[in-house]
Amino acid sequence: MSTVTLNINGNEVIAEKGLTILEVAQRADINIPTLCYIKGKPTDKPCTICVVEVEGKEELMRSCVTLARDGMSIQTDSEAVIAHRQERLAVISETHFGDCKAPCNLTCPGQINVQGYIAHVAKGEYEEALRVVMERNPMPFSVGRVCPRFCETRCRRILIDEPVSINHLKRFVADWCMTHEIDLKIPKNKPTGKRIAVIGGGPAGLTAAWYLTRKGHEVTIFEAAPKLGGALRYGFPDYKIPKEIVDYEVNTILRMGINIRLSQRWGKDFTLQDLKDMGFDATFIGIGATIDVPFDVPCTDKENVYTASNFLRMINEGRRLELGRKAAVIGGNNIAMEVSRALLREGVEQVTIVYPRARLEMPANQRNVKEAEKEGVQFLLMASPSGLCAVPDETTRLKLDLIRMKLGEPDKRGKRDILPISGSTNSLGVDTVISSLGQMAVDGVMSGGELEEQLKMKPGGMFFANPRSSETSVEGVFAGGDAAIGSKSVIQAVVSARRAANNINAYVMGCEKDPADTRFNFTRGKSFDDVSLKNFDEIGINLREKMPERPPEVSTQDYDEVKLGFTEKMAKREADRCLKCGCTAYERCDLKRLDIDFKVNINKTGMGREPVYPIDNSHRAITIDPNKCIYCGRCERSCEYDALEVRADSFDEKGRPVGLIIDFKEHCVSCGKCVENCSTGALNKKNRIVPIQSEEVREIHTTCPYCGTGCQMVLKVKGHTLMEITADPEIGPNFGDLCVKGRFGHNFIQHPDRLKTPMIRRQKGLPLEPVKWDEALDFMAQSFSRILGEKGPDALAGLSSARCTTEENYAFQKFFRAGIGTNNVDHCARY
Amino acid sequence: MTGLVTVLGSGAMTNTINGILDSDVMLVIGSNTTETHPIIGLRMLTAAKKGSKLIVADPRRIKLCDSATLSMQQRPGTDGALINSLCHVILRDGLEDKEYIAKRAENFDAFKESIEKCTPEWAEKITNVPASLIEEVAHTFAKGERAGIYYTMGITQHTSGTDNVCSLANLAVITGNLGKEGAGLNPLRGQNNVQGASDMGCNPSFFPGYQKCDDKDAQEKFAKIWDCSITEKPGLMATEMGDAITEGKLAGLWIMGENPVLSDPNSSHAQKAFEQLDCLVVQDIFLTETAELADVVLPAASFAEKDGTFANTERKVQRVRKAVPPPGDARDDLSIINMVSNRMLGNQNGGFNATIDPVFHTVPPFASDIFEEITTCWIAMAGMSYDRFETESLAWPCPEKDHPGTPVLHKGVFPRGKAWLSAITWNGPDENPDEEYPLILTTGRVLYQYHTGTMTRRSEVLESSAPSAYVEMNPADAEGLHLTDNEMVRATSRRGKIELAVRITDRVDKGMVFIPFHYKEASANLLTNDALDPKCKIPEAKVCAIKIEKLV
Repeated sequence: MSTVTLNINGNEVIAEKGLTILEVAQRADINIPTLCYIKGKPTDKPCTICVVEVEGKEELMRSCVTLARDGMSIQTDSEAVIAHRQERLAVISETHFGDCKAPCNLTCPGQINVQGYIAHVAKGEYEEALRVVMERNPMPFSVGRVCPRFCETRCRRILIDEPVSINHLKRFVADWCMTHEIDLKIPKNKPTGKRIAVIGGGPAGLTAAWYLTRKGHEVTIFEAAPKLGGALRYGFPDYKIPKEIVDYEVNTILRMGINIRLSQRWGKDFTLQDLKDMGFDATFIGIGATIDVPFDVPCTDKENVYTASNFLRMINEGRRLELGRKAAVIGGNNIAMEVSRALLREGVEQVTIVYPRARLEMPANQRNVKEAEKEGVQFLLMASPSGLCAVPDETTRLKLDLIRMKLGEPDKRGKRDILPISGSTNSLGVDTVISSLGQMAVDGVMSGGELEEQLKMKPGGMFFANPRSSETSVEGVFAGGDAAIGSKSVIQAVVSARRAANNINAYVMGCEKDPADTRFNFTRGKSFDDVSLKNFDEIGINLREKMPERPPEVSTQDYDEVKLGFTEKMAKREADRCLKCGCTAYERCDLKRLDIDFKVNINKTGMGREPVYPIDNSHRAITIDPNKCIYCGRCERSCEYDALEVRADSFDEKGRPVGLIIDFKEHCVSCGKCVENCSTGALNKKNRIVPIQSEEVREIHTTCPYCGTGCQMVLKVKGHTLMEITADPEIGPNFGDLCVKGRFGHNFIQHPDRLKTPMIRRQKGLPLEPVKWDEALDFMAQSFSRILGEKGPDALAGLSSARCTTEENYAFQKFFRAGIGTNNVDHCARY
Repeated sequence: MTGLVTVLGSGAMTNTINGILDSDVMLVIGSNTTETHPIIGLRMLTAAKKGSKLIVADPRRIKLCDSATLSMQQRPGTDGALINSLCHVILRDGLEDKEYIAKRAENFDAFKESIEKCTPEWAEKITNVPASLIEEVAHTFAKGERAGIYYTMGITQHTSGTDNVCSLANLAVITGNLGKEGAGLNPLRGQNNVQGASDMGCNPSFFPGYQKCDDKDAQEKFAKIWDCSITEKPGLMATEMGDAITEGKLAGLWIMGENPVLSDPNSSHAQKAFEQLDCLVVQDIFLTETAELADVVLPAASFAEKDGTFANTERKVQRVRKAVPPPGDARDDLSIINMVSNRMLGNQNGGFNATIDPVFHTVPPFASDIFEEITTCWIAMAGMSYDRFETESLAWPCPEKDHPGTPVLHKGVFPRGKAWLSAITWNGPDENPDEEYPLILTTGRVLYQYHTGTMTRRSEVLESSAPSAYVEMNPADAEGLHLTDNEMVRATSRRGKIELAVRITDRVDKGMVFIPFHYKEASANLLTNDALDPKCKIPEAKVCAIKIEKLV
């Protein structure tokens, strides 16, 4: 074999003669990017991304068609090459139209793959759906009940009718898995030998413990209260999150194998130094923000005056309080709403929220405000308490002095301060006053030990934690959740703790942290105004499912849950409303990858603004979205059956197709190879409806279970979910080819009909009955042993299967021959 | 397999899939390859494009015919006559490989005598293939430097299945096409691991590695490996089990991963038999029609949920790797066998590491342990290991750790020494059309479905592509019955009846119909014949007599 010697990027490369520069580079593991290359099948409409600089040549050369010659000197990433690629990518990206990620996903503080779990719900794969949620949020049971639902505010369905009820779907899958006692089989890494202390067993602490345990660390939670759950247990009343839900959620997390130490108060029962001395490699502070900001008006030291967190804690512990008939709640935050609604359930007849601004300015989620109002809570707005010193009349226990407020002139930022209206004093006779003016983690500075005193605090009583490393001012001590970010939603605490866990892992392992999600995103429109309504031409109005709930006059009589949850049918119908904005080719899109690699700023250079072509669903296995096509032609050239043609009426001044047609011929066998070769999401497998984003995807090489060809395939698995099947062009006997069954015939694995439990028929004529393995095995062993005893070994027989593995077949015949003592063993397809 | 063992001493595809690309003649007989083995079909189409001559012999004008150099539509059940006639022409015209025959075959004279009368004219009467076409095919095949034969159930699922295979072997031997690249005699296995299941002795007559159960040495060998006594009594074949149950001889049956109630010919017979069992245990991933009859149902794992190996049609042993855990309490089949074994026979697993995996719940001995044991009982796999599979793809025989495997069999010598040219007298099918049942039914697969459909019918893309049963019928027959395309009809045989849509097409000849057997709502195997091949007991699923009636 004759060879050529050339120089690529300063390195000498010896290669077989007759290869192109691109092929030589690929064999030498030098990456030359391309969008249109298919081995052995050149194109007349090249992407020209693969150009390189060849010494002595004025023009850049396409490496896919230029033969490598002896003595060539090549630069694959010179300035000129990069500039050319950037320009070409910008031109191509300019007409590429679609969403990389769905807006719901981008808006979610947890960056949960929302579209993904909704897709699973639509297919009835609830277990898979919950796993998708739990990749990024281990508390779906609670969050599914109390999430502020940032995602729903950006749901594109708003442009048609109403947003998808995303959070109700999350709650549905969580509840479904709970009722069906699903073991989610969450995997964890091998033990690392590292030990982490987590202070606080609320949402943040549990979240950090969950992710750190999954990373293989040994985690111990120290909790001051006698039970885990924190705000979920002691903050939210039962009508919002029932205690059995909290218990189930906590147990789901603990099942990962987490040590717990209850009734251990930090600063009193142990210190940071103690933890160090115990050998913990790092500490996470997730104690939440449970200390109420004091009610700072005169005479609040009277009886029947409470602060919000304390009050809710007592209620949640089941304490009976003498609250009277009338109560005032001071403050307009979310906690104030829960306090008010709890007061109604405690038998208080009139609950008034006092707030110094307008209703829309309340920090509480407006949904919570509305729910409180629906139950009969009253609002006294533009009023501020001035003291409790006045003597009440006989009908009430307290007299709350109030002053009316007005808005002042806007400041530089346009914010209008509130000012008391002089002389507008008034008073409200009440039996109980509860102030809800915000929470802090620590009042003043943390005490208990030397290290505690070194912990820097932020104004407002939160721990300082470096936003990038989550580390506090003490080395090896990290903080997250409300304790660091202030009193926010559960999902925000979860996100903060998850980030901290990622940082702690990097700290104890001395490794890089898992990378953050890329900000790069093609979008059909950032704001609703930018989104062309042409996108939704084909979609009819279909209003959201209504959450069944108990009427307020009934629900305020007890602490049972108000919202009852979707039924399975409702959940499926609701999931079907999803517009599937995000691209299911997200993880394989070459255009996105190269745009990121070459730092093409599509926000400046431009991207497609509106759909030019309708999405074509007429193919049995493949969805065609020509709006995403970049005319690379790889689909057409990769087709082994000449069953696909891509053509255009004409081309614009930059060489891009106009009047694009992606035409599948009648003799197409739906093998799906074109989809795997598509450089964007223009072609997509219809049954691959869950986008894979930044989550880890495992690729498992295995053998096809259908005919005897033994095609080698690659199973792409996310968590425990088989996402899709592809083939590796380098591995035989199929070398990248698969048939329709190979690529599309695997949905049976996740089918709800799968047998999930052993069954026995106790007596002929009776139905099959689900039992545990022990009982099924006993039943079978007894029956077989009885037959063996009565009729001898030849009264037993086994039929094995050509579907099972070689090892299983071996073990099966061995069982009959060596164990039972008969040759009565056969398989059904031995011909 | 019995056929191949008789002639050559070993039963498997002799050559490789990608060797097809090197062939210059391909004879595809009784195999609708593009539908049943799409990737092998693709290789054939590619080879044909590159100039290899493709000869197709199938009762239906299957898709391969569109790319074929020559194609023959023999009557169902007459393959043996056709093949014998091809041999006849080759010998008559002196096209055989005389040197090869002298060196590597025996019993030539008896064989030659047996096909003396199989003239093309004789065959034309039986097969309906013109004598001149038979001659042309014989010449084209014999003149090929590398001529490969490819066949599937269309050849074997007959009362004359074994004979058909012997006849094909004769054809390969007399043309000197065994033991070289791009040629050979190649049964295309219909299921992922038919080869492995056969290799492992899930067969009443063979221990693992085709070591005969009635052979004293083999008995001793396995008695030692398994540390037990070995019964001398022959076992029952699957197709004999039904009768054994009815006669009260068989009382307990454990079925792992099969659905005979739907897949067996004359399937209502199988169902009746199973109902009489004392204890039927069915281990499967779905509640199949067979599982519904069971006394114990054991939830098993799919291919994606377990470790092990499959041996493909070209004898390559390839890894299966678990990717996801089985749902709920389902367990992989090997763990189930181990659990049953432990329960019935006491713990046999001393020495194996018994840690329980919290996600997969596998029970030892694990697949890798079993594989190691397999390598000790069969020399052909003795050189294989899970470690080697990580980087190598090995076809048996692979007797030593550094042996590269054997992609092409029979280079130099056959396992039995010389190939035995069998004298085969062609016998027609068990059931022929008559006045009451005037049509010949043949059955088969479609691309989008697989077997009884337990998997494919639950994969939406596949199911939506081929959602319902149909019967293919020639326009002339349809006209006779006043049928229009897609009209519902009733198909009746001596054994049962089904209702399905008629698809009028000239892919089938007059007098013949085709029904895919995947659909339980119109199960072709309610109609088919369970008459057995006398040698290997394979039932004649591929041909029977039926009638089609308009539904009123």
